[in-house]
Amino acid sequence: KPAFSTGATFAGPQRQPTVAPPKAQQALPVSSTGTSYVYSSTTPAVTTYSTSGYTATTTPQSSISSYDAALYSAATSYYSQQQQGKTGGGPSWMLKKAATGNQFKPKPKGPPKAPQLHYCDVCKISCAGPQTYREHLEGQKHKKKEAALKVSQPTGRQSHNQMRCELCDVTCTGQDAYAAHIRGAKHQKVVKLHTKLGKPIPSAEPVVTPAVVSKPAAKPVPGKTVVVQSNTAAKKVLAAPKINFVGGTQLKSLGGKTEEIKTTTAAVPTATSTSSDTQASLSDDEGDDAGNSGAEKDVSPVGHEYIEEIKNDIGKTVSFNCKLCDCKFNDPNAKEMHLKGRRHRLQYKKKVDPNLQVEVKPSIRVRKIQEDKLRRQAQKEEFWRRKEQQERLREEMRMEDEIYWGHRRMEMMGGPIPPDFMEWQRFGPMGPMMRAPFPMHPMHVRRPDSSDDRHVMTKHHSIYPTEEELQAVQNIVSACEKALKLVSDTLADNESKDKIPEKTDKKNVKTEESDKDGEKKEDGISTRVLKGVMRVGVLAKGLLLHGDLNVNLVVLCSEKPTRTLLEQVADALPKQLATVTSEELDVRRCVEEAAIIVRSDLEPSATCTITLTSPIMRESNLTEGETVNVKDPPDVLDRQKCLDALAALRHAKWFQARANGLPSCVIIIRILRDLCQRVPAWTPLNEWAMELLVEKCVSTGGATMAPGDSLRRVFECIASGIILPGGPGLYDPCEKEAYDVTATLTNQQREDITALAQHALRLIAFRQIHKVLGMDPLPAPRFSAKRFNNRKRRHTNSAGEDGGEKKDRKEKESEIAA
Amino acid sequence: MRPNRGRAGLRGGIRGPIRPFGGPPGPFRPFIPHIPFDLVQCENAFPRAKAAPEEKAFTDALLKRHTDLTPSSAEQASILALVTKVQGILDNLVIAPAGFEAATLEEVRQVGSFKKGTMTAGRNVADIVVMFKTLPTKEAVTALANKVSDELKLQEPHEEAVPPRKRVAQNTPKTVVSLLPNETGFQVSNGEASVQCLVTTIPPNLKKLDADLHLDGKMMNGRLAAIRHARWFEENGQHSSVKVLIRLLRDLKNRFEGFSPLTPWIIDLLAHFAVVNNPSRQPLPINQAFKRALQMLAAGFFLPGSVGITDPCEQGTIRVHTVMTLEQQDQVCFTSQTLLRVLSHGGYKQILGMEGNASIATEMSVWEGVMVTPSDKAYEKPPEKKDDQEEEMEDELDGESS
Repeated sequence: KPAFSTGATFAGPQRQPTVAPPKAQQALPVSSTGTSYVYSSTTPAVTTYSTSGYTATTTPQSSISSYDAALYSAATSYYSQQQQGKTGGGPSWMLKKAATGNQFKPKPKGPPKAPQLHYCDVCKISCAGPQTYREHLEGQKHKKKEAALKVSQPTGRQSHNQMRCELCDVTCTGQDAYAAHIRGAKHQKVVKLHTKLGKPIPSAEPVVTPAVVSKPAAKPVPGKTVVVQSNTAAKKVLAAPKINFVGGTQLKSLGGKTEEIKTTTAAVPTATSTSSDTQASLSDDEGDDAGNSGAEKDVSPVGHEYIEEIKNDIGKTVSFNCKLCDCKFNDPNAKEMHLKGRRHRLQYKKKVDPNLQVEVKPSIRVRKIQEDKLRRQAQKEEFWRRKEQQERLREEMRMEDEIYWGHRRMEMMGGPIPPDFMEWQRFGPMGPMMRAPFPMHPMHVRRPDSSDDRHVMTKHHSIYPTEEELQAVQNIVSACEKALKLVSDTLADNESKDKIPEKTDKKNVKTEESDKDGEKKEDGISTRVLKGVMRVGVLAKGLLLHGDLNVNLVVLCSEKPTRTLLEQVADALPKQLATVTSEELDVRRCVEEAAIIVRSDLEPSATCTITLTSPIMRESNLTEGETVNVKDPPDVLDRQKCLDALAALRHAKWFQARANGLPSCVIIIRILRDLCQRVPAWTPLNEWAMELLVEKCVSTGGATMAPGDSLRRVFECIASGIILPGGPGLYDPCEKEAYDVTATLTNQQREDITALAQHALRLIAFRQIHKVLGMDPLPAPRFSAKRFNNRKRRHTNSAGEDGGEKKDRKEKESEIAA
Repeated sequence: MRPNRGRAGLRGGIRGPIRPFGGPPGPFRPFIPHIPFDLVQCENAFPRAKAAPEEKAFTDALLKRHTDLTPSSAEQASILALVTKVQGILDNLVIAPAGFEAATLEEVRQVGSFKKGTMTAGRNVADIVVMFKTLPTKEAVTALANKVSDELKLQEPHEEAVPPRKRVAQNTPKTVVSLLPNETGFQVSNGEASVQCLVTTIPPNLKKLDADLHLDGKMMNGRLAAIRHARWFEENGQHSSVKVLIRLLRDLKNRFEGFSPLTPWIIDLLAHFAVVNNPSRQPLPINQAFKRALQMLAAGFFLPGSVGITDPCEQGTIRVHTVMTLEQQDQVCFTSQTLLRVLSHGGYKQILGMEGNASIATEMSVWEGVMVTPSDKAYEKPPEKKDDQEEEMEDELDGESS
């Protein structure tokens, strides 16, 4: 019986001094080397396999060179034959692969008839049968081990203080790791196996330094397989689950390497050195760190700052904690290793310095992704380049166009760029990033109705006069106007009877055209005393409020109105009123007010105040101090009242020209009039001042101001101190000299009104506009916000909500229909 | 509910006229800010009805106050020296990082009031933002502080070499490097002046932050913004009126509790706006600008719904005043309203802090027979119960034009 080789041969692979470039090494038909020991209990098993294998592999070999033939003859075992065959001619390997595949695929579980022991010295494992063994030898793991051993041994990296288990050829970085290994199942298994095989078992004491003395071992015979008969407990051993199957890719890569192999294999199928299988699986961390450390020798450790020293009670450092990777080490060397390690560096890159270079593990997938990325990038660049080119072309064309047209335009306009355009350019963009911090000017976007708007509109609706009230006012005013016209006629008639009956263009006494009328009269020596009647105040401005039934009319006279004239008119009026209306109207004269008050008794009782005045009153104002006053009739009416009436006339005209056109101006003035009536503190601000203020605010506020915004703006205006002492005041556009409309206010009143407006402004901003308007808050609009959430609520208190749901649905439907 | 915006808008458009008050439902409404009243912008509509009051005394008082607020030349020199020293050390670390591995420095920039030239007397703290290329860990900050401290110590002996007589005159106390709370940076101070080195990182790193390991991202973002602010100010805020107004407003903020929510950046922008943003584009004289700033605040410039000032250093439309809570906005507004009324009744000395105290903003006062009642807050915490209405309110009040 051939005995198994001695310890020397067993240890051989590690001592293999050959240093070959790992690539070539990998390509070598590793399995054909002398390291392969096949322990088998019976030989026949091998032969049967080998014959079948032989036939399978040889059939396509016909075309193979003599070199191959030589190999075949040299080979003593099936396995090496197969390997050679595989590495042989490119065209044939595919077929062979298929053949081997077919042959060896059959379940690995099926044990060979006669149990053998196939032991891989490199990986320290036994295989169930020759195929599995073969497959193992071809396997990635095995090759990796082998290569690693080859590479690492010369570098001698298992330096100081590393613990090494001789038996399993495992290097541990620390005492703990070593102890763990010794206790581990893997080690136990190897020990068992070795005991069984009668191999020497090194002591469990760790070898601290690279204790293995590399002595040149006898080169094992190439291609030799040692078959050992093992009578004992073979079955048990066979159960060891270390079976590696050959992957397709592996074969391919071998195929690709044919050339190389040809030159090297046959000549020196050297015994390769391998490292243990167990090493990698022992500890992934360690493996990860250590696996790279060989290559990273030159890398300086990073991130010392993140290692926390954990001290024991007496202040001695017992362990280290890496804050970045969240792991612990017991000895400083492990820490050092860790700091250099790939995992730590990756964490460092991720958490501290993104620019740290960490070697990329060249995995196929990563490479593929990278390539993909590069390709895509190139495509993108190409795309942009092309686009840019097109753009440039277009730009050039446009430039030419522009230059041409620019010249044309300039010629047409007869000057360079318009100045306001320049202005805009100068203040428009303030650099690419630094935008002007100023609000953009009025956007021409119609702001949809906000809650403020709804409140304002609702309030407005409530203060707007009712239909009856409007009707009543309308009645009394038209009655007065008609009656006054008749009075004027009769007065004129009387006069013309007294004097010369002049030309009478009486039909022209109409409210609107009274001015023209007046002028005409002045041309021909005017005899008509009452030139015309005009609406003033709230009536003319359309600012009537609910319950506000006092309206004013002004009668313009051709000469200064006197008490006599007033009485004449007052006397004549009732008679004429009776002719134009069936209503009972009460006429009262009020000399102090230079007015006649007409009052209707019917509910709602409206009052119409008719004031007599004359433009001459104002002219005399200018020439005061001269002798003009002497000409005044003795019983002329109160001058100030007449002047007020004239001013009212001008205000009405101004209002119609300026305020009526502004969208929300009238609404806001109504709202504020109501405010002045409701809140005493506001009362000192007279109506004319209010109208002016609102008009200015609204007209400066941009194209279309919603009512809510307009109201807020008025309060903002007052809040910013427009009427405070020191402010600009309100310039009266209807006076010849500069006159502050708010001049009559005391400082305390100004202060109070401003304070009120300031508070109101903040109330509006904080959605309490209803407090300013003196109304109840409106509920949120029906379709607001939470209709979608309603469903949730319905679930919680579901009962009896069906009706609501139906309604909702109905609404939805109607929406859709709309 | 945002995804429904499109549909809702359409619906609103079609149904608008049918509904009693029109308008689409609340949350779908685009936010269109209100442009508050600003007298200077519409001066044409308000011709003066009476002669402008004499304001020489007021202007003089403003200028005097400003002089008081400006740090003395000695103070400025000492702080400049320290800043130069620290900046030099940090710059060296940017150029030649050899010997310092804890972090890589990308950029070192001066920011804040020192950089802008708006520092006020008695607050001799200059700010430097140190931008790390590496991720900003607390350890890195500590290491940098130590490094700077070492470098400073290395430089000390040089000063030792100065002739003793001169040294006595200078009497430079030792510079001390101390970490800021939470290791967000460190402070170098030498008794007379101090420099705060605030650590931040390059923007791409902000996404990779880990709350346990690194500095607070929000805070670092703020520091990046500070760099932008300094740059913006360099380009836009160089008119001396702007700087004067900034000092005066900061002084107001320090003295009047109600102005405390105003951030330095808001004050910068407000001052710039008040001075420069007028139809003629000529900087306003300081008395007008100061008054205008108060007027604008009083007119609700920084109230919800107002357009306010759009931050020129941020992407998108961000109104600067939205960093204040609603309550704070109200507080700033009513304080300025009260002060404006006091000012118009002749109380400028009290406002500038030359006489009296800050109680004028909170207590009733009498000026030439006019009783000034301080404004009271209008903001009410929305009731908890009606949450849907409240939410809508918050939506609208806080709503940026998204």
